[in-house]
Amino acid sequence: MTRASGAFLIGACWRSLIAAAGIFAAVLPLRAGESTGPPPPGSYTLDHIQRVPAGIVLEGTRFPRALSRYTTGAITLLAFFYSYCADPIGCPLAWDAFEAVRDGIVARPELHGRVRLVFMSLDPAHDTPGMLMGFARRNEASASIVPWHFLTTYSDLFLNPVLREMGEEISIDREASSGGGVVINHLLKVFLIDKQGFVREIYSNQSLDPAMILGDIKTLLLEESKANGHKE
Amino acid sequence: MNRTARYALMAAIIAAASGIAAPVVRADETCLSPYTAALIKGQEAYLHVWTLGEKGLGDESDKLVTIDADPKSKTYGTVINSVSVGGRGEAHHMGFTDDRKYLWAGRLDDNKIFIFDVGTDPAKPRLVNTITDFSEKTGFVGPHVFYAIPGRMVVGSLSNDKTRDGVTGLAVYNNKGEFLSAHPIPAGNGGDGYGYDLAINPKKNVFLTSSFTGWNNYMMDLGKLIKDSEAMKHFGNTMVLWNLKSMQPEKIFSVPGAPLEIRWSLKEDDDWAITFSALTSKLWLISHDVNNEWQAKEVATIGDPAKIPLPVDASISADAKTLWVNTFMDGTTHLFDISDPTKPVQIYEKITGKQVNMISQSWDGKRVYITSSLLANWDKKGSDSEQVLRAYDWDGNDLKLKFEVDFFGQKLGRPHHMKFSGPLEKASLDMPSRAASR
Repeated sequence: MTRASGAFLIGACWRSLIAAAGIFAAVLPLRAGESTGPPPPGSYTLDHIQRVPAGIVLEGTRFPRALSRYTTGAITLLAFFYSYCADPIGCPLAWDAFEAVRDGIVARPELHGRVRLVFMSLDPAHDTPGMLMGFARRNEASASIVPWHFLTTYSDLFLNPVLREMGEEISIDREASSGGGVVINHLLKVFLIDKQGFVREIYSNQSLDPAMILGDIKTLLLEESKANGHKE
Repeated sequence: MNRTARYALMAAIIAAASGIAAPVVRADETCLSPYTAALIKGQEAYLHVWTLGEKGLGDESDKLVTIDADPKSKTYGTVINSVSVGGRGEAHHMGFTDDRKYLWAGRLDDNKIFIFDVGTDPAKPRLVNTITDFSEKTGFVGPHVFYAIPGRMVVGSLSNDKTRDGVTGLAVYNNKGEFLSAHPIPAGNGGDGYGYDLAINPKKNVFLTSSFTGWNNYMMDLGKLIKDSEAMKHFGNTMVLWNLKSMQPEKIFSVPGAPLEIRWSLKEDDDWAITFSALTSKLWLISHDVNNEWQAKEVATIGDPAKIPLPVDASISADAKTLWVNTFMDGTTHLFDISDPTKPVQIYEKITGKQVNMISQSWDGKRVYITSSLLANWDKKGSDSEQVLRAYDWDGNDLKLKFEVDFFGQKLGRPHHMKFSGPLEKASLDMPSRAASR
């Protein structure tokens, strides 16, 4: 088949098909009005993306604790950070979103005591338990409503398996670190974890919307309530 | 002082005490998922080319070919690595995971998905996982587009395992390659259920899908297909707008003639996407109307539709002012001025091969790459079946050929989809590296 004859044949077939099918219809909404904003809580399902791995972490002291203590038994919002991170699309964004979610929970009594916030350091050598206590103290006022834990671990030996399993790829930025300090390249990921310790949503700097996060938290609570045979 | 400012101040104080520099600006090719990180700073170092094996040629296997794209390198413009995956299954498209460490590559015939580690050493990708039960898990056939979302990959497919026509859907996997959920594309109520590309606008919590044709057609010889009037009825005529969070379809657009690649504007305040219909040779704009409702509208013609030039790929510039479009049949690369996306105007064209398919450009728009193969059974025959990758510099006026790789001549196969990698410059986050960095 030559190029020209092939083109002609396709054209003839396709033109007749279009004419026969009358397919110049307009837009077809699938329901009344568009609904492209955050969907109502409970109207959608969040995938069970992966289980949170086991790990050893430190909070406040050098006494070892199981990571699962902070990722099961309540809905958890977890992010990796490091205390001196200045990347405007990294840790500060997460910090801002966590504070907005904390404030949103404080304002909704039905969410009190059902959600915890967790920051875990990417630099255990710098971010010691004692150093992170300063961050924790700043959030003591709302701790009984929505606790915010600042975790670290003993060393990279303990940290790296957790990062690997959570899909948190990090590296030292040599160029930015050339001044003598350290800049840790990391992809901002915020993990929403259900009571059973399954990651149910992951937010990036493109999707870190506190309203969406609160909607997802309510969706998980509705799911839990439904599983328990309750109506909310 | 607001929260961000407060945190920034605190971080700055700690950073100052630790001697930390500010992060650097990054850039990359223009048609990636918006969730893709670890973007290339400036010049790409490698091109990964997903290549269809050819019977009687070399090892006859589909393969991931890596080409040196760094003009300063001694091996610039040459093949530096090739990973054969075994067999021929209609290799087609690829997509990076969100962390850019892994590259997923699919085959439209046997439904296998190959996952390559390209982060550890992009010069030497390694096959680390193969998903062999895509059809069994999802009911779909033809894993086509691989679109990263945080921690997961959305796989858009082309067909199904029952009728093998174009009715299909989307599948979500986690980054480990474990299946999570399937989402059929709406068939009925104006929808044809067909699939092709998907593209996300995170800011608006929406994504779009387009529609091509099913296994019965894309695996058929093109000469036979165009004489089969029944088969020719089975092409997609729709696009679907979805709610990203709920993964629910919200609206179906009539876009006749197989709408293919979807490109959202990359400009910060824009909320429009552009696509093209392969068989009717039109550009379509998807944007808000005066009532703030999403609409699809035909906005321009590509070449002479009467000659069916068959547009097959498009690449949008980072500033959303121009759009490259390749037309397969006439081997032409077109450039449209889309600074007014409601009125695209062609400003340049050049014949870049006997047949041309995929096109990718660097973030700065200065480098443009094309490949030749569309589908094994749809490529031209005989001497017209040129199988090459060509690299051009774009100086604002003309495409200047920098190098080409003859894939048949080097017994590699048919080059299809391309992805870029930057140079390996990461340090691992183990103790010695940290100590060395400090």
